[in-house]
Parts: sequence; C-alpha cells; structure tokens
Amino acid sequence: MDFGFSEREEMLRKAVREFAESEIPPKMEKMEETGEFPVELMKPMAQVGIPGIITPPEYGGVGMGYVARNIVLEELGRVCAAFPMSLQVHHMACAALMDFGTEEQKKKYLPPLAKGETFGTVGVTDPAGGSDVIGMKCTAELKGDKYVINGRKCFITNSHLSDSWIIVAKTGDGPKGLSAFIIDKDTPGAKMGRKENKFGLRGANTGEWAFDNCEVPKENMLGAEGQGLAVGLKTISETGRTGMAATALGILQAVYEEAAKFANERVLYGKPIASLQAIQLLVAEIYTQLDICRLLNYRVNWMKDNDMRCDTETSMAKYYTCNAAVEAAKKAIEVHGSYGIMREYAVQRLFRDAMVTVPAGGTAEIAKVGIARAALAPFKKK
Amino acid sequence: MKRIIVCVKPVPDPKEWDKVSMDPETKTLKREGIPSVINPLDKHALEAALALRDLHGGEVVLLSMAPPFAQATLREGLAMGADRAVLVSDRVFAGSDSLGTAEILAAGCRWINDFDLVLCGNSSIDGSTAQVCSQLGEMLSLPNVMHVTGLELSDEGKLSITQKIESGFVQLSARSPIVLSVRKELNKPRYIAFTGILAAESKEIVTLSNDELCVSSECIGLGGSPTKMAGLELRTFERKKEKLEGTAEDIVTALVEKIYQCGVLEC
Amino acid sequence: MEMAGNKNRDVWVFAEQRHGEFHDVSCELIGKARELADSIGSKVVAVLFGHDLDGIANTLVKHGADVVFVADSPLLAEYRLLPYTHVFEQMVTEHNPDIILMGATAMGVELAPRLAARLRTGLSAHCIDLKLNDDGNLLQVVPGWGGGVVATIACPDHRPQMSTVMPGAMKALPEMDRDGAIEKITVELPDTDMGPEFVKVERIVATEQPLEKADIVIAGGWGVGSEEDWSLLEELARLLGGAVGSTRPPVDEGWATENQMIGQSGKTVRPTLYIGIGISGVMHHVVGMDQSKLIITINSDKNADIFEVSDVIVAEDFRKIVPKLIEEIKARKIQ
Repeated sequence: MDFGFSEREEMLRKAVREFAESEIPPKMEKMEETGEFPVELMKPMAQVGIPGIITPPEYGGVGMGYVARNIVLEELGRVCAAFPMSLQVHHMACAALMDFGTEEQKKKYLPPLAKGETFGTVGVTDPAGGSDVIGMKCTAELKGDKYVINGRKCFITNSHLSDSWIIVAKTGDGPKGLSAFIIDKDTPGAKMGRKENKFGLRGANTGEWAFDNCEVPKENMLGAEGQGLAVGLKTISETGRTGMAATALGILQAVYEEAAKFANERVLYGKPIASLQAIQLLVAEIYTQLDICRLLNYRVNWMKDNDMRCDTETSMAKYYTCNAAVEAAKKAIEVHGSYGIMREYAVQRLFRDAMVTVPAGGTAEIAKVGIARAALAPFKKK
Repeated sequence: MKRIIVCVKPVPDPKEWDKVSMDPETKTLKREGIPSVINPLDKHALEAALALRDLHGGEVVLLSMAPPFAQATLREGLAMGADRAVLVSDRVFAGSDSLGTAEILAAGCRWINDFDLVLCGNSSIDGSTAQVCSQLGEMLSLPNVMHVTGLELSDEGKLSITQKIESGFVQLSARSPIVLSVRKELNKPRYIAFTGILAAESKEIVTLSNDELCVSSECIGLGGSPTKMAGLELRTFERKKEKLEGTAEDIVTALVEKIYQCGVLEC
Repeated sequence: MEMAGNKNRDVWVFAEQRHGEFHDVSCELIGKARELADSIGSKVVAVLFGHDLDGIANTLVKHGADVVFVADSPLLAEYRLLPYTHVFEQMVTEHNPDIILMGATAMGVELAPRLAARLRTGLSAHCIDLKLNDDGNLLQVVPGWGGGVVATIACPDHRPQMSTVMPGAMKALPEMDRDGAIEKITVELPDTDMGPEFVKVERIVATEQPLEKADIVIAGGWGVGSEEDWSLLEELARLLGGAVGSTRPPVDEGWATENQMIGQSGKTVRPTLYIGIGISGVMHHVVGMDQSKLIITINSDKNADIFEVSDVIVAEDFRKIVPKLIEEIKARKIQ
C-alpha cells in the first residue's frame, strides 16, 4: 500500500494552489455579497485544465482521473469552497456524457465543457423528490420524434450558468420509468427560474428550471430510455459525492490552518494560546479529522481510478467529510473565541460553507441507509 | 528565433521567508525544509521566452547553476512550457561569487550553443546582486540590457526593447544574440497547465558537471572569486524607544514638542 | 585584475548624469570618497561621461573631487553600456585606481558589473557603508536577506575594488570653494558591435518633491486602512513641508505610487524626521528608513516591530492622534 502522492500529483497540487491563491481571493468579497460566480475565471481555469480534468484528451480534456480531480477540488476548496462546488457539478455533466453519451453527443458537448466555454450541470432534484428520486413529477412524453418535457427542477448548481442542461425526467413508471435528456438552454419552453439565496457556499449558483411543453429531439436523450435512474445515480454517486467530499475536505484544510494560525498568534496570559491544553485538544481533534477525511477521500478516488465499485465508499466519504467539516469549523470558531463570530475572520464563512455541504448532494441519512445495506448484507440470513 | 536560453535560479519560497534563520555560530543561513521555487523574476523571463516562442517558433532551454535538488524546480519550468533543461552542478562551483557564476553560466550557454537570446530575471530574491546579466554578457562577448519592461520581435528580426530607468523609459533597438534581464512589469507569468505537467515528464533535464564544461578552476568557487565574505551579522538597532502615554491631547502635545525640537521646522 | 604592488590609492567615483543633470548619488559618493581618500592621503577622481559637459564638470570639484576626467563626445551623449564600458576600461587600465564607486542606480547596476567582469575584479552590490581597514582594503557593507543580515565584503587580491552604493546611503558635502583639475579624455570607439541603438527616452513626469531629498518623511503602511485615511497623511506632510512615503501594501492598494515606496526594493531615505503611521515594521521597509535622524511611529498594535527601531513610540490608533496633531500644528503656525 503506497499512501504517498506521486511527483506528478505534488506538481498538480502546487500548480492549483498557486492559481487558487492568486486568482480567487480578489473575487471573494463580491461573491459573498452577491452570491454570483465570477464567470470571468472560467477561461483561466480552462487554460490550466480544471474543467476538463476528467474528460479524455480526445474531447479536449486532460483525462487525469479522479485522484487528480480530488487534489484540484481540495486545493480550490481550501481557498473558496464555492469553486469546487460549482466545478464538481460541471464534472458530473462531463461524466454523464462520458459514460452514457453517443459519439455525436460526446463530440458536441464535451469539448465546450472542457474549454470552459460553458458550465456543465445535472438536474435530478425535483420539488416532488430529492431523496426520493423516483417520486419526481417532471415528465417527458414522447410525441412523434420529440419528447415533451413538463415540470420543474430545483436546487440545481450552475442552473443559470449553463448552455446545456442534463436532466432526468419520467418517461414511464417505477425505477425503469426515468430517462435522461440534454436540453439546450434556449429551447422554447425551457426557462431559468429563481436563483436561491444560500447562507453558505456563496458564489456557487443554485437555482431552478421550469419546463412548459418543452420539445426536445429524440437525439437528445442521454443513454437509453428507462436508463435515467442509472444515469442519475451513477453520476451522483461516483462524481457528485466525491466532488462534494472534496469540497468539504478543502474547507477542513482551511479550518485547520485558520485554527492553528490563530492559536499561535493570539496572546493571552503572556503566551500564545497554542500553549494552553484546552486549545491544544481542540486543534488535535480538528487535525485528526482532517487526516481521516483525507484518507477516506483519496482512497475512494483511487478505487474509482481503478474501476472498482465504490458506491458505499463514496457515500461514506461524502457524509463523513461534510459533517466533519462542520464539527471542525465549530471547534475552530471556539479556538477564536469571540473573534470567530466576526465577519473579518474566515472561520465563520468556513462554518457556513461546511454546513451547506451537509444536505446538498444527498443527506447523511440517505447515505447511511445505503451504507447499512452494504454493511448488513454479508451477514444476512437466507 | 531558433533558441532562447532562460537562466533560472532555485530560491527558498518567499512565502516561507520568515522561517529562514541565521545560525549565530557558523554565520550561515539555515534554509532546510523550506521548499524551493523558481526565482520570481526568472519566471517573468521564462514567460517572455515562451511568449516569443508562441509567436515566432524556436526552442526554450532552461539553464541553471545549482545543486542536484534543483531538478524538481526545473521540472516546474518545463511544466510551464520550456522544451528542455540543462542543470550545471558541481562541488567545485560552490562559493562562486557573481563573476564565477557568470563564467559557469557562460560555459553552459556555449554548451547549449546556437542561441539567439539569453533571458534572466533582473535579480534574485536571495543574495541579490543583480550582477549576473551584465557579467554573463561580458563572458559571452554579447551586448546586454537590464531592467527590461517591454520586448518585441519584428518580422525582420529586430528586437524593440523598453528599459525602465528612474526618470522614465528608454527605447532601444537591438539584434540577436543578446543577453537581457527583465523586471516584473514585463508580463504576467502563465500558470502551469495540467497538460504542461504531463508533458514535462518526458522532457529532458541534462546534468553537467565541470568535467563537461571545463571552466578553469581559477575562475570558480571560493578560490576563484575576487570578492570574499569578511563578516556577517544580524542587524541590531539602538533607538531611544520612548513611549508616549496618556490622553490623545497629552500625546499630541508631546509629539509637537518633539517635532519642533528636532529643528526641522521653523517656528 | 590581480594586484601587482598597486601604488595608486586614488578613489574613483563614476559621476552619473543624464542630459546634463547629475544623479544625486554622484555627489553623495564624492562625499564618501573624500572621507576615504583623506584617511589614506590619496585623491578623489570623478569620472564624467556624456556630451556638452563643460558647464557641469566643475560642480564635481566644488563637491570634493580633486580631478575630473571628462569623456565628452557625441558618441557618449546617450548612455550606452558597451561604449561606456570600453572608455572606462581604457581609463582604468591607464591609471590603475584602487577603488571605483558607482551608484546602485539603473545605470550603475548595469555598467558596474560589465566593467568589473571586463577587468576581472570583484564588485559588491547595493552597499550601505564603506570603510577602509588597516591593510588598506575597502570593507563593503551590504544588506542581505531583506535586510535581516548585514554582510561585509572585501576584495583583497584584485584591483580596482568596486562597489555600487545605494543612493541616499552616503551624504554629499556642501558646495565648497575649491580647486581641482579637469582633464579631457579622447573618446574613440572600436569598429565592433557596440550593442543596441538608442531610439528615444520617455520621461515620467514627477510632480512631487522627490522622496530621497525630503528632510521630513511621513510614511504610511497597511494599517492606514483606506484611501480616505491616507489623505490624513498627505495633509500632515503638506503642513510640515514633507514628502509622503509608503510600504508595499499601500502601493498595491493604489493609495501610494511605486515612487513613494521605501525599503529594500524601494527607496532609502535619511530624513531628519520620519513619522511612520500604521506600519508594522518588517525588515524590507526598515532598511530603507532606519538611518533617519528622529523616528516617530504610531501604530495601534502594541507589539509592532517598528517600535524596536523608533525613538518615539505612540501605541494608539492614528485616527485618534493625527487629526489632533494636524489641528495643533495649524494653530501654532497661525501664532
């Protein structure tokens, strides 16, 4: 077992860190205020290779795999979590196309995504069913050679930034009654709805779509009819959860750095508070959780890179890292004392960002139900 | 443009600067554990070379005089886009002052051969003398220009150079080959792209010792350096450090007294 | 050049000028050269290159030079590295000076190393002090590592001993009524490539009093906090007849210009009065101002490093102090 990073991976981390530390901080104040993503950074990120990191080179990407992607998202998250949040959903669109797209669809949609010409997005959540995917009410009815879409999608990341939307809609009943579609934003009947006002991950665009007799050609179905659940679940499980876990991991890294820095700077009783055992215990807990989550994250991405089935592991990584980030952020605020609740200090933003990652992309409870299934299965009596 | 050489120096990461300390006994600086990066101004020089290559073609070769660990730093330069790297490394080079360094780099340039341009940063952030550009030019018997803030190559092969001086900017017109050192105003260095990282893995880093360069021992190392270190001290200060306390009014009254007392104003 | 029983102990100063105007460092170096030469009983020789220099050579004598070598030629009207190096080399080979001092200016930093390499001698950069030791060797004091250490460099076995010196580090002597010899040098350049052609020079117009000349400097740092509060410093400076200086962060923020930056990578100032406001006191800045005569600093951080190099310390928010200070000074001026 080799737990080290390769030279290539170290270089990758250094390159992303340098980019993130230079380009992102000047944008952050406005992001907090307006909740808008600085789209002008998409091209520079594309020049570096960030949006195309998992896309194969023949479609304009870099094709470096999921461990590499985790490094990229973690480093971006360390500076500003809204970035990996937006990008990991972008990668979900790429992954869905890579896994289920026809050659024509891949050739048409993957290159602009890799080049950062547009944001990718995947809309599964429906007002009638988030955790209950099959309960969605958004329908797609075949009429001639077109599918007519009716319904709404909500809590969609990059909803207002994307040129082509991947959605899952009902074409029939039951688990085989869902199908996935690629919808170009200007299609008549497709509309961008409200933009959400989140208390954390400010700058990641979250919003709604509405479909009113929106006609979509048959060629725009992604995967086969009835394959929609598989498209949705595979993309969410393998690319979505890992992306959210990476986002939370980046936040955790930032939390640790803020706590350790403050503990060494703040002087009370004539010494830095880092010399007080009470503070040391808090920092030790943060540090340990950071290491646990890092191992959890990189292991599951290694599994994905090695084509191993990893749904349980992605669920564990997602729910655990997001919750650990919240716990650690809370402790970091306590290390800061009253400074921790002031906007001038980063820890309050890290706490809010971490909290938003907990329900987004799948609740912990849903995750645990899935994990329990895997945990209990080997001991089930026939 | 056929070939551009960019001289790069690995230096301790300026972000970790405050971790550098001086050993009071040996009077040497302790820099262990501090990662090395390409000297910031050298990155601007490399960007200039890459930009010229993007427009006019040719090859960009990195040249560095450094201990063997510099391979990792050179790999970064290759990831930025340089085509290959030459590292000149030998115990006998240690202790060379700027004259010795220029001799060695000149030998490196000659080994690389057939170049149109040598670019470097105006100065390095550690031990910065800013002397290498002019001395390298002299060793290569080539003209050199420092403080470059603008650089363009015309189709006829003419270089338009902008040089910053105290009172403004000088425009010069030159032909290659020439040695130039650059200021940071020249450009914004490109970020390393992931494709660059992958490509860098198969790019060549050649390591040369003095066996290949054959620089005369009289010119290099501590022995070959006309300048010698005669002492090294941490700076100390002795100032009165008189604290003014009290209400704002008290403090202001005391300040005004001090200002008038020092004789710089006319009452 | 290796030393070979060099009898000439003269101290040479490159008197930098452009378009008839001397760089201040030229007379500063003559002042220092005078001190060095007097201590060993040798001469101060100023070296002046350019064209149409008749009017200005004598200024160098008045400021302390015993001899001025004037290389006056249309070929040297604009500074160019290779022609200047060529002529300088010839003069050095003929006269064998012991020491050559040049300013660590844009010109000096380019010319000195080229000349030193051509002469195969040692050169120290950005000196802040020069001393002669008992063996007659020049001890060249240079700051290193952002100013945290001070190194002493010597060039025991090679001549001339060369240094570039920080402008502002030495003091020029006041103009005196004295005599000196002005010798004209014939200028001939070889047929070989003399480097880039001069096309033109564009001046940036500086409207304020140059920082280095100011007797009073009001400097601000990151702690000033805003462009609005920065104007308090400007008002104080105006009132006292001083110049405004800055550390790096206000320049980055746009409250001050690069020309106003004081420190290792900026200007060295030695005013009679330096008032530092909202400055933490990192080494890079301190090396540029710690030779000021009276240093007053105001910073709300009781532990600011700048207090270590201050004569008068005010550990308060400058917003509580400076407006009142301005009022008080205005009141006194009216009286």
